[in-house]
Parts: sequence; structure tokens; C-alpha cells
Amino acid sequence: MTQFYGPSRKRYIRQQKQTHGRHPFGVFPAHYPREILWAMNVLPVEIWDPPLEVSHANAHLQPYICSVVKLGLELILQGQCDDLDGFLFPHTCDSIQNLASIVYDYLDIKKPCYFFYHPKAPYRSSSRQYYLEQLQTLASRLEKQLGPLDLSELKQRVQQGERLAYVLRELYTLRARGELCASNTEFYRVIRQGEYLHPDDFLPILEGFLADRKGQADRLCPIILSGILPNPQEILHLLDNLEARVAEDDLLNCSRRLLQPPVAREDPFEALAENYFAMPPCTTKDSPLMERVGFLLQKAAHTDARGVIFCMVKFCEPEFFDLPQMVEELKEKGLASLVVDSELNQGLSGQLATRVEAFLEMIR
Amino acid sequence: MTFFKELRFNFMKDLGGPALMSISRKGRKRRHRAPNPHFGPALKSATRLKEIMTRHYFLSRYTEGAKPVAWVTSGAPVELLRAFDFYTIYPENHGALCGAKKLGPELCAVAEEHGYHRDLCSYARIDLGHYFSGKSPAGRLPKPDLLFASNNICQTVVYWYRALAHYWDIPLILFDTPYNFEEINDSDVSYMVQQFEEMIPVLEQVSGQPFKYRNFQEVVRIARDTSLAWGEVLATMKARPAPMSIFDAFVHLAPIVSLRGLPVALEYYQTLLKELKERVDRGTGALKDERKRLMWDNIAIWYKVRDLADLFAEQGMNFVTATYTNAWTETIRYLDDQRPMESMARVYSLVILNNNLNHRLKLMERLINEFEVDGLVIHSARSCKPYSVGQYDMKRLLMERLGVLSVIIEADITDFRVYSEEQTRTRLEAFFEAIDA
Ligand code: SF4
Ligand code: SF4
Repeated sequence: MTQFYGPSRKRYIRQQKQTHGRHPFGVFPAHYPREILWAMNVLPVEIWDPPLEVSHANAHLQPYICSVVKLGLELILQGQCDDLDGFLFPHTCDSIQNLASIVYDYLDIKKPCYFFYHPKAPYRSSSRQYYLEQLQTLASRLEKQLGPLDLSELKQRVQQGERLAYVLRELYTLRARGELCASNTEFYRVIRQGEYLHPDDFLPILEGFLADRKGQADRLCPIILSGILPNPQEILHLLDNLEARVAEDDLLNCSRRLLQPPVAREDPFEALAENYFAMPPCTTKDSPLMERVGFLLQKAAHTDARGVIFCMVKFCEPEFFDLPQMVEELKEKGLASLVVDSELNQGLSGQLATRVEAFLEMIR
Repeated sequence: MTFFKELRFNFMKDLGGPALMSISRKGRKRRHRAPNPHFGPALKSATRLKEIMTRHYFLSRYTEGAKPVAWVTSGAPVELLRAFDFYTIYPENHGALCGAKKLGPELCAVAEEHGYHRDLCSYARIDLGHYFSGKSPAGRLPKPDLLFASNNICQTVVYWYRALAHYWDIPLILFDTPYNFEEINDSDVSYMVQQFEEMIPVLEQVSGQPFKYRNFQEVVRIARDTSLAWGEVLATMKARPAPMSIFDAFVHLAPIVSLRGLPVALEYYQTLLKELKERVDRGTGALKDERKRLMWDNIAIWYKVRDLADLFAEQGMNFVTATYTNAWTETIRYLDDQRPMESMARVYSLVILNNNLNHRLKLMERLINEFEVDGLVIHSARSCKPYSVGQYDMKRLLMERLGVLSVIIEADITDFRVYSEEQTRTRLEAFFEAIDA
């Protein structure tokens, strides 16, 4: 069903430049106000797990750094970002923070770099005010490169972001109920296109996918995926083959960034701030542990999930710190879990595949 | 707080503690290592330092029920807590102590048994290992009433303290310091000042004491003078020969980390400074023959401080400056008791680990010039990503800009299971040859 897939990233970026005069920006994980970028005719292209072999990045980063950071740097060093007009680095973790500084301060990349600091939880009234100011500061910095921000355009983009989130939530809800006829592989392939497609193009794809795949799905063993992103992708194939359905996820690049139903706000910046603080709990925002546990349990309850698979990226401190308590709390509530710890793009080893199989057998 | 427990605490502080410690000192058999012939005379102040730190940990056993106890991260603005009379414990300092006593792997292993991954910061694993096992070379650490963290050194401390807050079910206060990618602005400062204001009611509640602004200003004054004194201590190493080494400074920084804002720390550094100035006047060096002067980057390799000190001393190489020890004095010039909140926001958010890598490079260039450094030893610490990520480029850039030779040691701050003696030796031998060429 190829109509649900847009062109490859490279082709798409060039097309966007040529046909819409858009400015493609490389955006590192994870939380950032994409609506401001859209409103300024910027195409955010997120950099999570480009399919590359790491070689050049090893001269800059120690072996104990996660592969999201390594692959991102590799992409830059291999000259694969030449079509981009800038970079945005949200303050996600210590490793991304220092990567941002390496790129900006030490590598003479000759491209504008922007930074975005989101306040860390527990949230107080100062956090809200600061977040709002950060949005405005980012916008005014971008204006210097891209010209003035049109507030009515921003309003429209905020609404478009909310519409996008609505369709995504619909897809998630249907999947949770077993009413979406899509394999795990296909589901994530479709929704992850949001990492680089412009909403004008992504929204129709999502809507088409929703209309086409709505319907009673096969009754497969429901599970939840937690962690950073669904990689190695082979895990999704394996779950498909083993007749397990990812009924929900708590992945940083997917549902942890999914907007909740919006609260009406006249001012678009305020709307963005409201939406941000209503998002699900996340390690990279320092959310309290019990909020994360509660969030997962809620997902397990409404999907009847039998277990949680934690897809961990090696050397990812934010995720590994919460893991022991998450596993323990889930166990106490009768929910089994499995930890899959791997480098990105390295495939699924036979040993890991066996562990996934054994886990599914146990929870069925 | 109960009256009896307060009485007991005060008794131990003034009378019982000193007496017990003196008895235990007399009873303890000292292990004597043969003196290294390459070192100059030892620092006399070291005895006083040991007393101060032993007393600090010893007294902490009597705090429960007598004083509010807070566990604090090394870069947190402790001045605010001092104004509420919190007894403060620094798990990172405790981690360093465990590292120096070679207990890192044992305590880390306890945390690992509870699911904490071996790749996580070993200070955190030691501390969690202590939480699960109660083991500590300091006897016993008091259970905190409050956790106080700032992410100006890393995000790791927040994940770690969040775990402790969950296990103990106690409040965690976070001082969130926006990372200085380019330059901190008014919005960043006012965000931090607002956070201080939001903390006060929580601190009042936990400590049971009202906020006394004048006390707070006094603490700020003492903290500033102490950090300035620490800066003067470090500056004595500009002399040739340097009267102490960075390996000494790693030990002598305990009060500036753990007791900042208390008169005892200020008095201590005044004493140490006096001794160091006398040594400079007499030409007494940390080494008998200081041939080369080096800089250290990153936290110490705690289980190897002594061995490395011996090894470098044999080569006539003295470490005269370090980015790490400098961290507790670098930004202190911003501290102003007339505008304590705002100035504290700058002091704490501009520290080395919350500042961009360009800033760090410039700082290193300055230190290399001021301290007349011949070479640089870079500890790539597996535990510490904010300190380590970027070091490979720094090495290259310092060579290009200043022609400074450097070597990278891949190691860890406390977990010696990831340390390779052979690889380190090989690298250092090549470095020694190059620097002498
Ligand atoms: S995988 Fe973890 S450590 Fe790596 S960039 Fe993402 S959050 Fe940071
Ligand atoms: S060693 Fe590094 S990561 Fe660990 S607590 Fe200290 S600053 Fe944070």
C-alpha cells in the first residue's frame, strides 16, 4: 500500500526547497515547537536514526556515547546535511547538549544553529513563564535569518498541529482497541514520516491511512513498547511474525510527543505552552517516576496489554535511570516487562530475538 | 526536631565528638607508606582537613531528629539551605571517598543487582548501592529530609535524585539552570530567581524555620569569601615550583564542596593559604624537582590519585592546574550579598559544566598560559558525559592553537572495572617521551 508513503527524505527535502522555497532544518531529538518552524516556512527534518555506518564520528565521540548522538554527528560529518539551512538542538540530555556545542563551537559547519531549552520538571509557575519566553526567544532569533513571523500563520500552524495530533490520537485509539488493520511495521513506518514530512503533506497521508485501515483487526497479543524509538526495526517484524500487536507505546519519538486535546487559547504562543505542558510524562523532561508509571499503567489498562517491552538505546542515561523502578512498579501491578538493549541500526541478534519470543510465550 | 536529639547533637558537636575522635585517633594504627623521594614535604594542613571532614561525617550520625538533613548535589546553591540550618551531605563527595577507598565496584555492584545499568554514572551507582546496602566508609549517612539538586553539572543528578526521592518518598527540589549555549539572558536569570522564591516556602516547611534574609546574606558573604580563598589557594600553584599539586587539591577541595557557606571552611582555606604562601616564599615545592608543569582535565580518577601522583612525580612532572578544581572559584566574582538571588543565578548557571564548550576551550587556554603549562592530561570519564563529550576535539584544538601536547586516559571516576592499567601506562609512557623530546 505504497500510497501511504511519501518520497525519500533526500528527494523530499530538495523538492520542498524548489517548489515551496522552504528552509529545511536538521532537528535533533526530541521536544521542540515545530509549529513555529512551520510558520516560518522551515521544514523540520528530525535526526534520530539515519541508516549509516559510524566511522567519522568516532574521532569526536567516546565509545560510551549513545548511537542517536553518534549517528547524528556522522550524518553531518559525512556531508549529508549540505541541503539543510540550519540546525536546531533541543536540550534533551547531557549527550545532545554537548553534541550541540561540539557542532556549534568546534566544527566549522557554517550553518546557523539554534538551541531550545525546555524547563525541567517538577513544573512550577516559573516553568510556564520561562517556556513561553523560550518560544518567543526562539522565534525572534529565527526572524533574524528568515524574516518576520506572521502571527496569523502561526495560529494556523498551531491549529494544523492540533489537527495532526487529533488524527494521530485517532490512529492510536483504534490500534489500542484492535480496530486498525495495520502491522506494527507498517504503523510505525507511516507515522514516523512525520519526522520529516511537512504537515501539508503528512496530514493527508495520515487521514488516508486512518480511513483505509479502520476496521476489526486480527486478535493478536497486545503489548506496549516503551523507550526512545522503535529501533532496531527488526523488532517490529519479529513482533508481527510472532502475532503480537503493539497496542500502545511510550516512545520518545512517538506518543511521548503526542499532543493531548488542546485547550482553546487566543494567543498562539500560549496555546503552544499549554499543549507542551499537557504532553505525556517523559524522562527527558525529568517527569516524576510515578507519573510515568501511571501513564504506562493507564495504557496497559485500556489496551489489556500483557506486557511492556523497553526498547533501550545503549548508553541512554535518561531511560536507564528510570528503568529499575519502572520494571519493579509494573511487576507489582502484575505487568511483565522485557528490556531490549541495543545499538541503533545493528539489527536484532539471535539472542535478543529468542528473548522476545520467550517473553511473548510467557505473557500469552 | 526533638529537644533531646538537639541536645545530643550539640553535645556531640562540642564535647563528645572531639573526645571520641581523639580516642579513636590514638587507638588507630597508622599504615605508613615509604615516603616518595620525589615529593617535597607534606602539607601540614592536611591533618586539620582530615579532622574537619571526619567530624562532619561523624556528626552527621546525630542529626536525625535534631537538625533537618539535606542531600545536595555538588553544584547546587547550598547557601539557601544554610540559611535554614540544614545539615548537608554531598553524595558526590561520599562517592569520591568510596572511590578513593577502592569501594566503587563493590557499591556499584549492589546498585547493578537492583537493575541499575553498569553504564550509568558511578557516583550515582555508589550512592544507590549505599541506599540498598547501608555500606559506607563514613560509617552511616543520615537519612535526608530533603533532596536538593541542580542540573548545572549534569542531567544525571536529577535522574539519580529522582530515584532517591521515589525510594524515600521525600521532597526533591530542583534548581533548573538553563544550559548556556551562547549567553544567558535576562529571561534565564529571572527564571532562576523565581525558582529561588518558589523554593523558600518548601524549605520553610521542611526545616520548620522561617526564612531569615540577613542570615542568608551572611552565608552568601562567607561562601563568597571561601570560594575566593579557594581561588587564592589554587593560584599559589602559579609559582615555580608550585607549593602543592592538583592531586593535593583534589583532596583539599572537600570543604569547598561540602562545607561551603560555613565559617569552618573559610577558616580552613585561610590556614592552608598561609601555609602555601610560606612554602612559596621558601621555594618549597610539591615536587623536589619540578621539571614540567601539567594541567588535568575532568574529575579525578579517585582510586588512582596516589599511584598517578607517584608516577608523575618520578618524571618530575607536577599538575599545577585543573579545570575541575577551578570550578568552585571560577564564577564566584558574580556573587553579591546585596543582590544574592540574582547573583547566585549567575554564579551557579555559568559553571564550567553548564557552559558551552567554546567557553571551556577559552578557559583551558587561559589556565595553560597563566600557569605556564607544558602538557595536558585528559581523563575521559565514562561516568560523566557532560565533562567528557567534546574532549577529543578540545585536545585537537589546543594542539592547533597552542601547540600543547596532551594525552587522553580512558577511565572512570570510581569504577576501576573499566580501567586498564596497561593501556594507561602505554599512553602515559608515550606522553612522557613526547613531552621530554
Ligand atoms: S538516546 Fe538517550 S542519551 Fe541518546 S540522545 Fe536520546 S535521550 Fe539522549
Ligand atoms: S560524575 Fe558527571 S554525570 Fe556523574 S554526577 Fe558528577 S557531573 Fe553528573
